[in-house]
Amino acid sequence: MPIKYLDKYPKNPARSLWVLKPMWVSLRLFFRTVRHRPVTILYPYEKEWIPDNYRGRPGLRFDKCVGCGVCSRMCPTGCIKMVEVADDDGKMVMRPQVFVGRCAFCGYCAEYCPVNAMTVTPEYELAELFKEDMFYGPRRLNFKDTTPGMEVHLEVTLQSDIDAGSPEKRYHPHEIDKPVVDEDACIGCKKCQKVCPVDAVEMVEKGLNAKGKPKLVPLFDPKKCICCNNCVIDCPKDAIHIEEVL
Amino acid sequence: MMVVENTIDTFDSPSEERIAKDRYQTDAMWIYMGPQHPFSHGLWTLKVRVDGEIVTDAEPVIGYLHRGWEKEAENREYPKIIPMADRLCYSASMTYTHLYCMTVEKALGIEVPEKAEYIRIVADEICRIQSHLMWLAAVGTDLGNLTIFLWGMREREYWLDLNVRLCGQRMTTNYPRIGGVRNDTTDIFDRDVMRCTERFEKALWDLIDMIDSSSIYVSRMKGISRLTREQCANLGVTGPAMRGCGVDFDLRRDDPYGKYENIDFEVPVLTEGDTYARYMVRIEEMFQSCEIIRQAVRKINALGKNAPYRLKVPSKVPAGKAFCKLEDPRGESLMYLISDGTDKPFRLKVRAPLFTNISASRPMVKGVRVADVPAVMAMIDVCMGETDR
Repeated sequence: MPIKYLDKYPKNPARSLWVLKPMWVSLRLFFRTVRHRPVTILYPYEKEWIPDNYRGRPGLRFDKCVGCGVCSRMCPTGCIKMVEVADDDGKMVMRPQVFVGRCAFCGYCAEYCPVNAMTVTPEYELAELFKEDMFYGPRRLNFKDTTPGMEVHLEVTLQSDIDAGSPEKRYHPHEIDKPVVDEDACIGCKKCQKVCPVDAVEMVEKGLNAKGKPKLVPLFDPKKCICCNNCVIDCPKDAIHIEEVL
Repeated sequence: MMVVENTIDTFDSPSEERIAKDRYQTDAMWIYMGPQHPFSHGLWTLKVRVDGEIVTDAEPVIGYLHRGWEKEAENREYPKIIPMADRLCYSASMTYTHLYCMTVEKALGIEVPEKAEYIRIVADEICRIQSHLMWLAAVGTDLGNLTIFLWGMREREYWLDLNVRLCGQRMTTNYPRIGGVRNDTTDIFDRDVMRCTERFEKALWDLIDMIDSSSIYVSRMKGISRLTREQCANLGVTGPAMRGCGVDFDLRRDDPYGKYENIDFEVPVLTEGDTYARYMVRIEEMFQSCEIIRQAVRKINALGKNAPYRLKVPSKVPAGKAFCKLEDPRGESLMYLISDGTDKPFRLKVRAPLFTNISASRPMVKGVRVADVPAVMAMIDVCMGETDR
């Protein structure tokens, strides 16, 4: 690979022409711009085309969301808060609310969303007069022209797969990781069943407790589980942990 | 790099006697350039002591932009530090996130897929080119040439558009991840990049014809602020500022990280050591970056569409220490990570290249005219975000 500029340029005879070469360059540009249109656009009236994967404000597809709270825990600025709203049937559900004034537009909420309900949107004109208007509730977060290109997929490969010689992409940690319960520590309080957003926990009778009575332990449905860590966080005895498969 | 006897002055603040002496001297005075000054790109002060037109002494004052970055990083999980590393320097965001991810990967002891390494090289070099164009625009205004500001910014837009195609954001890219990159390249990204490099090389020759063959512009830079290799080595100056002074050292070639050892490129080195040499090194680096991008894109295409690009990594980093260094657009940056086995770092130290380069401003501006101070300081491409952290 030769050096381009340093070899070529200092020997260039054009350098001894004082300012004639720059004048010629700008004159050439003048003729070029007269002939063709300039590169600038009239911004408020016409806008630049932006691709689907542009990271504007976060968007939410209300029906797809399960209210697991992964987005609010992954947010680096802490601008996402889970709020209670009525869904289409009038039932109260938890959905994310975004304070766009603090949003860093990193796209983590869309990336780590286990059901791809959070998306990135190409909306970037977000100035408001009052701070209160910057809170985007679950309904306001909806972006009406959401396309599949606005989803961010978390595609990972396992090191064990690469070592085995079949490096295929897995689409989300919940296809790989599984929650595991420590049955000795579990007191059968059913808290994990209550906080599970996708009803993947079923309490089954298994063994006897210290008093000799039958004991309830959670059984996780691996097909339903989205690995959101809610049961891990809310377990009063720290009996559940996520087993990471690498 | 060779280190010889200390030829630089000490950095003590002026003594009481000297201040008292200066007070009654009418020919010498201290001028505060900054923190709000047209020459200072960012918030910092350069105190210069002038004797008539000639600068006889100088002292950089930094710390106006201290945000407690390193302390803040101790309170966050590992993935959440990546968007913060973007904000260390907005025009070198890709290299800082790459550096952070490399450091954590080293602590985890994992090897990133080959495709991710090449994508990171492309992203790094795009970042280098757009950072150098930003610098060129700033140099243009510092030396009184507004056309070059507009032209440099115009060319930079094309590279920022490539950033949008790659990761969805223009400047704070948040693209590398621990164990790979955020997403695969889009379908026509390779075609876009190839077109952009070809177009850019022509445009860069136009830019060079515009400014570099103008003797008015060049005479502001030639022969002022000479640094020797020994001074560079002793002051810890790195990056293009060092290579303009005759030190033949580039981390990409001499201590290759990622997959840079598979890529063929030249490191421009000039021995003049003046401001103009530092200028020419950066211009040549843009051409070399185009070449690196082309080679890396070919390697990505050879790996195919279905190659893995992101590894699954554990959320907790085993206790230990790790450090990584990387060739930033401005010099050599380094991160040092101490982990204690939890999902948050115990300590994350950043060595910003500009912190040491700015400390070299005293020998740099000594002996030049006051009007040339902007030209001298522009050549180290000041960015206060990473300096003060």
